[in-house]
Amino acid sequence: MPYAPAIVEQDRVGEDRVTSFRELFEQAASLAVRFVEHGIQKQDRIALVLPKTTDAIVSIFASLLAGAVYVPIHPRWPRERIETTLADCAARLVIEGDENSPLRITDRKTRASIPWTAALANPADTAVANSLPRADAGDPALILFTSGSTGRPKGVVLSHRAVSAFVKWSAREFQISSRDRIACPSPLSFDLSTFDIFNMALCGAACVLVPGHSVWMPRFLVQFVRKARITCWYSVPSILAGMLEEGRMAQDDYLGLRVILFAGEVFRAQDVARLQAAVPQAVCANLYGPTETNVVTWYRVPQGFDGSQPLPIGQPCPYATVTTDATSGELLAGGDSLMSGYWNRPEDTQRAFVNVEGKRYYRTGDRVSRAPDGNYLFLGRLDRQVKRRGFRIELGEIETVLAGREDILEAAAVAVDDAKMGAVIVAFVRTRSAGAVSLIEAKAHCARTLPLYMVPDHIVFLDAIPKGSRGKIDYIALSRIAETLDQAMPNQSSPKHAATNHAANDAAPNNVAPNNAAPNNVAPDNGDQDRSPAVHR
Amino acid sequence: MEIKTAVRQFIAENVLLGIHQTTIEDTTPLVSGGLIDSIGMIGLVNFLETRFKVEFVPREIDVHSLNTLDQIDELIRKKLASQGTGAAGSSQQTR
Repeated sequence: MPYAPAIVEQDRVGEDRVTSFRELFEQAASLAVRFVEHGIQKQDRIALVLPKTTDAIVSIFASLLAGAVYVPIHPRWPRERIETTLADCAARLVIEGDENSPLRITDRKTRASIPWTAALANPADTAVANSLPRADAGDPALILFTSGSTGRPKGVVLSHRAVSAFVKWSAREFQISSRDRIACPSPLSFDLSTFDIFNMALCGAACVLVPGHSVWMPRFLVQFVRKARITCWYSVPSILAGMLEEGRMAQDDYLGLRVILFAGEVFRAQDVARLQAAVPQAVCANLYGPTETNVVTWYRVPQGFDGSQPLPIGQPCPYATVTTDATSGELLAGGDSLMSGYWNRPEDTQRAFVNVEGKRYYRTGDRVSRAPDGNYLFLGRLDRQVKRRGFRIELGEIETVLAGREDILEAAAVAVDDAKMGAVIVAFVRTRSAGAVSLIEAKAHCARTLPLYMVPDHIVFLDAIPKGSRGKIDYIALSRIAETLDQAMPNQSSPKHAATNHAANDAAPNNVAPNNAAPNNVAPDNGDQDRSPAVHR
Repeated sequence: MEIKTAVRQFIAENVLLGIHQTTIEDTTPLVSGGLIDSIGMIGLVNFLETRFKVEFVPREIDVHSLNTLDQIDELIRKKLASQGTGAAGSSQQTR
């Protein structure tokens, strides 16, 4: 058992680098000791600005063994966003490095560094581990930063209790054992990765890291699943849909794959049916829950699911309590997996929770209904949050960033449903003068501040942003324009659009045709600035 | 064949909504400049494979090594050259 593989990582030439449980523990414990010797206190934040590597996993366990809180930050985020996040969570240490630069651990205050590879004086043993501080169940274990509607990412604080409630349940429910090889396809900054990493530690399964560059290349991913003999898979539906569509998953044998879990966005029912047909021996389940609650409901896809009905989000996990707001139909989620709150944001935290009969519930913002068989069905959002490949996006954050650029006076963003892309984001901007900002400049501006998945797919320049009678942005009118644009797109990566917006063509003005969608010629030329270009009633 | 012209055309049609008057320079950052993301990269790689009859291996599809027209041009040329010497048999299926 101590020599069984804990982490499997493919190196640059495609060879497996295997780390045993013993090595993982020794490395993590020795690093934890160095953290403590450096003066790291319980609940100090240790930021991991690292790609998904063995070293990153070692850093996670080292942070936890030292009683500290790990804050995974995607290294491909724009520098500015990384710095803001480090400052926001007041990280004590930052661990950085990638294939081109060696790992370095820096104290953000003193700029002192801690060596990554300090030779162990004595191999770490249980005595070493016992000398380390021990976190309590209610102490924070990690902070995950997610899009915030006001333009600044919010840190979701998750306790040891919250993480272990989900992990222990999933281990039991899906019978994870030391025979399993669990893929880790999600970035560490994504809550789905807790399943992969902590089931490895809890059940003695191997955690096989999926190289970041393969995740969106379905062809390679399909090969990877087979070659790496993956038995358990948990990802966002978009990745699975890509494997079915582009990777020709159905034509291959995946006899080893026995558990397929997905969460983070709606998986089209017909794709679920195709997935089940392609991998008939596997248990497929839809897991539901925002980052703030982790998984709170789940639905096991029944054998022979034909995809004619939407896939329910199912029934509560045993550690969760779920109810709905009678008026709005909003799903309220409580129980052990609940976040402790947003980092350093008491008002947001207070707004996020509601008390029902003396119990604390998180307002998910998701509208649901309940089927006669007790299963919950997801109906939609109550606010302007959208999901794109499982990533959560507040459209308001994109607007704030765009409007922050010089010469952009106003910005509004909408999302359009797209069969392949999940959601296509279209931003509308009004500039100081025609041509003041080019499309490339506007996109580059977004990419400097936002993660790539939040950069709008299309940016449309308008002379006037459509407004309602009270001067509020008319998002419905903008959505109609966006749908027209998206339908007309000859997009190679999304040849077919599911959106059947009959209304779109007649609703949008004829001067919004994409072939003349050059900057500032899409608004009506009647000079009526207050009138919505899409409202010609 | 002019690699850059073809790629420029592809990006103009698929990424820039057909706005041809917006110029993409040889050094315009495509990925770090927010023009192409992971999904866009799949489309671009599919396009390059089909158009130039080349095949990519996972490591080459690093978003930062295909970040500019110059880089794409260089990679495709290298691939075509190695194919010319018979190093790579192209059994690639097009969709």
